[in-house]
Amino acid sequence: MKLSKKVVLLGHFGVGKTSLFRRFIDNEFSGEYKVTLGVQIKKKVVVLPDGRELSMIIWDTEGHSDSVQDTRKSYLLGSHAFIYVFDLTREDTYKNLNQDLKYLKKTYTKVTAKIIGNKLDLVNEKEVTLRLKEQEIPFDCLTSAKTNKNVQNFFLDLAKEITNEAS
Amino acid sequence: MKKQQNLIEFSQNIQLTTVSTDGIIKETETTLFDWKTGDSIYEIHPFFEILNSFIDDYDPNNTEFSFPCIHFENNHQERICDVSIHLDLKEIILTFFDYTQKYKELNTIAQQRNESILKSKELELKNQYLIEKEEFKNSFIANINHEIRTPLTSILGFVEVLEKTQLTFEQEELSRIIKRESHHLNALIDDMIDISKIESGKLQIVEERFSFQDIINGFRESYTMMAEEKEIDFEIDLDPNIQEYLIGDRTRMYQILNNLLNNAFKFTEEGSIRLSITKNYQRTNKLSLNFKIEDTGIGILKENLPHLFERFTRFNTDKQISGNGLGLAIVKNLTDLLNGEIKVTSQPEKGTIFNINLPFKFEVTKTSSSPQRKKKKYKLPENKGKFRILLVEDEEITQYLIMKILISQGNFFVDIAINGEEAIQYIERRKYDLILMDLTVSKLDGFQTTNMIRNNYGDKFISEIPIIGFSGKASETVKDKCIRSGMDDFLPKPFEQEDLLYKITRQIAKKAAD
Repeated sequence: MKLSKKVVLLGHFGVGKTSLFRRFIDNEFSGEYKVTLGVQIKKKVVVLPDGRELSMIIWDTEGHSDSVQDTRKSYLLGSHAFIYVFDLTREDTYKNLNQDLKYLKKTYTKVTAKIIGNKLDLVNEKEVTLRLKEQEIPFDCLTSAKTNKNVQNFFLDLAKEITNEAS
Repeated sequence: MKKQQNLIEFSQNIQLTTVSTDGIIKETETTLFDWKTGDSIYEIHPFFEILNSFIDDYDPNNTEFSFPCIHFENNHQERICDVSIHLDLKEIILTFFDYTQKYKELNTIAQQRNESILKSKELELKNQYLIEKEEFKNSFIANINHEIRTPLTSILGFVEVLEKTQLTFEQEELSRIIKRESHHLNALIDDMIDISKIESGKLQIVEERFSFQDIINGFRESYTMMAEEKEIDFEIDLDPNIQEYLIGDRTRMYQILNNLLNNAFKFTEEGSIRLSITKNYQRTNKLSLNFKIEDTGIGILKENLPHLFERFTRFNTDKQISGNGLGLAIVKNLTDLLNGEIKVTSQPEKGTIFNINLPFKFEVTKTSSSPQRKKKKYKLPENKGKFRILLVEDEEITQYLIMKILISQGNFFVDIAINGEEAIQYIERRKYDLILMDLTVSKLDGFQTTNMIRNNYGDKFISEIPIIGFSGKASETVKDKCIRSGMDDFLPKPFEQEDLLYKITRQIAKKAAD
């Protein structure tokens, strides 16, 4: 049976959702900021440890400027996972994270929600980890779309997690 | 006619496609996408995978879905469409509305808006970083200042003690050098503190009435001696119409002129140095003075003039001429802070002229013949034997230095407490004539200890003991804090032996007179 899962990238504008999307799907990166209007959708097939193939349908949504609730609801329909991306160099991109996460978990009870702090190449990992802990900002992974640090592994781990939940 | 044309255009931007529930195209228009009947919609674009979830969770009450702004591709051409989905158990009807043009226009606006927000955030972040860096620098300078001043106090103090012993000519010369270099180091710390305060906006300009004539006379006295030593001429021309007493920041004015005169003396080996002071204008109670400092020294190259007031700038490579490159930066900053202006002209090998205009005020009603404030002389009361001093200090070297100075006078007993708590224990056991209190001792600091002494005891012998605070953190703010916390005086480190003895004598004499 063909496996397919919908994963939606969420978060403020300019945090690097499209960069992560392009890095994961096409292994490309551009430092130039280009706004995403609406949603771009692409598919990547990953091979799971048990040999099965999973089509990850990634929805790269337009970034919000305040809260995740500003994202169009229809984009979130039928999702299996949300990836909430924030920018490690911009505090305003994670100041509402806890509230946003609460909203997502309450509204989409069956959807896995993951949090990524992106632009790791611009900060000191130890310092930023400490700061996020002090500010009680949860995260699952710190990535750099620019250097590809932790990007592929994050998506593969997510693929495993959402297929295990389903099986 | 136009309505009809709009209708045609609108219909050209719509496509209807009917798909079976297993994803096969049953019927389709090709207005926007050249799809064919029989094609699998799932193979065309990953967006359509969403249909699977609608079919799996089919709800007859929820059969209409709309997705705005979805990016598709047709023959390598991007189409941005709003998509409506109508679902029933037999088929799915997809309606595509092509708004590529409209969305691209919106995209440009959104791009500009987001870019400008990101840019301002970036600037905010850079600014924040610079502020943090500046704060770190200032606190570092303040701390290093304290750390340097403490040993410097000991060096200067012990040199003074040493000078009073039997020294050979060579030893006397060496101790004079140590003293001179220590004073230089102290001046360098002062400069660093000043520049850091100016740059962080923490330097407060004060307005006080002061004897302008006294300051100028002071310059005349000290620089005439220096000129004699260097065998050059030194002259001060003071406009006799200038009031004797002015209102302004005397310390900063002194600093500006002293720095410039010092500089002139450093770089002039022959010829003359002249300070001319004239009135620019006088209105009601305000006046502007022009200070012109001319020298016949080595001068400054034209290309160096624009950089003259930058920090750590030294054009002269002669290592015999001392300097830290901060003096003129301080002069410029202070002149700006005083709302004055400074100009410089120079010719290499001929000399330099600094022109400074500074504003002042003066009191119109008062006569200018106020008596000169001189340091009042005090004597220790004679009817008492020795005076008991409690020194609260945790650094051994400073303890030793102060002990040595006081005991050598023959008038004092000294006890030492190494922290605030120990000081309290001492004063409860013995009567003291004075306490010398380091502000940064442990357990209870100098302020807390003073507070306890002043407020916790009914016995006036304890609660009214004169207290002199001392610290390497020398500033008017620290002094004010000492006085407000109940101390009687403050002594900045490094201190001269004479100042220490003067302040102790004054407090004991004042207490005895009460």
